[in-house]
Amino acid sequence: MRLFGDDAITSSIGNTLLYVLIGVALSTVLGIAFAVALQRPFRGRSAVVAILVLPWALPGVVEGIIWVSIWDGNTGLLNSVLTSAHLIDHYQVFLGHNQLLTVFLTEIVQVWQITPLSTLLILAGLQNIPAEIYESASIDGAGPWGSFTRLTLPLVRPGITVAMVQAVIATLNVFDQPYVLNGAAATGSSVTMQTYFVTFQNLDFGEGYALSLLITIATLVISFIVLKLVYRPVEF
Amino acid sequence: MNSRTRALRIGAGVTALVAAGAALTGCSSTASGGGDADKTTGVTISVVLAVDPPPKATLDQFTKDTGITVKWSNVDWDSLQTKIAAAATAKTYFADATDVDWSRVGQLAKLKWFHPMQDYLNVSKLKGDMPQLASFTDDGQTVGIPFDASYMVTTVNKKMFADAGITTMPTTIDEYTADLKKVQAGGVQYPLNIPFAASEGLSTYWYETTGAFGGKVLDGAGKPQFTSKSSPGYKAAEWMIGALKDGLVAPANINVSDSQGMQTLMAKGAAASIFSDYSGNVGSLYNVPSSSTVTGQVEYIPTPGVDGVGPNLTNADGIGIPMTAKYPKAAATFIKWFTSTDAQAGFAGADGPSKVLPSYALPSRLSAVDVLNKKGSLDGGDVLATLLKDSKPVFPDGAPSWYPEFSRAVYTNLHAAAAGTMTVDQAIKKIADTANQLASGS
Repeated sequence: MRLFGDDAITSSIGNTLLYVLIGVALSTVLGIAFAVALQRPFRGRSAVVAILVLPWALPGVVEGIIWVSIWDGNTGLLNSVLTSAHLIDHYQVFLGHNQLLTVFLTEIVQVWQITPLSTLLILAGLQNIPAEIYESASIDGAGPWGSFTRLTLPLVRPGITVAMVQAVIATLNVFDQPYVLNGAAATGSSVTMQTYFVTFQNLDFGEGYALSLLITIATLVISFIVLKLVYRPVEF
Repeated sequence: MNSRTRALRIGAGVTALVAAGAALTGCSSTASGGGDADKTTGVTISVVLAVDPPPKATLDQFTKDTGITVKWSNVDWDSLQTKIAAAATAKTYFADATDVDWSRVGQLAKLKWFHPMQDYLNVSKLKGDMPQLASFTDDGQTVGIPFDASYMVTTVNKKMFADAGITTMPTTIDEYTADLKKVQAGGVQYPLNIPFAASEGLSTYWYETTGAFGGKVLDGAGKPQFTSKSSPGYKAAEWMIGALKDGLVAPANINVSDSQGMQTLMAKGAAASIFSDYSGNVGSLYNVPSSSTVTGQVEYIPTPGVDGVGPNLTNADGIGIPMTAKYPKAAATFIKWFTSTDAQAGFAGADGPSKVLPSYALPSRLSAVDVLNKKGSLDGGDVLATLLKDSKPVFPDGAPSWYPEFSRAVYTNLHAAAAGTMTVDQAIKKIADTANQLASGS
């Protein structure tokens, strides 16, 4: 109960739920889009996959630092581009003023990191779908959109489920990106950050354990909900 | 693709197992207390700090003189604090000598995770030569020995000040603020750098500014001294937030940390002054052509106060001996050498580049600073030596055991005031509430 009386922890719970919502939705949609784009062989596909995987291979702290140079209000790339395009008159501060915008822009950085794995997981599922099914659908008059919505999506649901569960785990445990981009500010602080502060700064291992347990239970519950809602067994 | 994913997962699993194994191996040794604890020769001690090791020749000479071999590990500060806490809690060996941060002295003394240094060194004799030693003492227990002398100082870009027609440096806060406005009128858009990111640098900036306004943050019992609107702490917070609202500080500084502002604003000529800068930055950052565009332009000035020069607050790095050390006596011998006048002067460059400790700030011993000054090898040495002599600990009675929680309340609420999500009054009230709650033990 003491946990929920702490403003820093309650705001971090709200932020974390937003991270999960935004991160899982975006990484899943982008993962499906990239996987479908990579489904058919084309010249240079291996190179594209290798490049796509790069953000996944980078540590979160490194990604945070890279994106600081994009979002930064003093010298950031985004400000430079928007000013050059005459879309803004003077440099803007994107992070820290508004909670929703701060969480959204911070989560974009994590989406950049986790989408490659989502893509690979969904792509693996797509490649299990026999080509004959698409041929039959085509003969029956299904267009590309019809094939995508009525064949691809239902048949790749196991892959999407695994991708969503890994996104849930990653976003529930987000630490590096908000810590690097926004410090300990309440506008972006996550539960994992609070766990670190409580455990290793306050040296309150009991409360830290309670927060860790909270994240573990949340991971199990949300993953189970995703599993129930999205997963359907598929047989070819 | 399935096999590729599977291979990656297996790889990740193997890596995790190897890492877990390494961690277990690293933590499996037993704590001190056996017969080896008194050995001071023929042993290898593990020194873990968040700095690079001294040059190999220097360490080899130490080994030759004492028979103690040093195994040095450089671990980043945050990870190091985690390791210290984890090892102490699990009562496992981690290092023979490691970091003691000034801000954790209260915690460490209360928890008794480190050997009292007075059991090994003549601490009272060191006091006169090490003004910052007080920051490492709590309730009569000296937890660590400062090995450098980081303290807060005011730096100005004298060229920018001169271009604005300012030839006499300010000695009071009012003069300083007026001069910054002149510098701004002279063409520097945001002349002052204040790191408003929600991190420790914001807290220390406020402590230093509070000192300059003539006060302190907490009393000896940990009670807040900044709740009244006429108190120095309240005025300091108002001055800092006011500088942002008035446009002396860049709006984007709400996300700028202390070192980031020094490196990307001050060193690049985008800011003309930092009220609470690191001692040593002129020589180690602003006068280094590879990292600065303002070489030769930045100087230290005595910190402007209310009616004259204000105090400088210390935040030195210290080294101590964990209770779980295998060879505490040998570690004490190393610390005695590592913090000696000769070693510190050498680390700071008195004996040429071969003995320099990379990124070393300043010696913690006045005698070592004197050596450097006499050899002329310290940028701004005269001013620094005076400031070091008069430097004061942030908490004269030792940092309270709940300092990290208090500091987090300071920087998150001052950040929120800077970001406009609360007023200065609300921020101060929240910080005071936290301090009162922590001081009362609830």
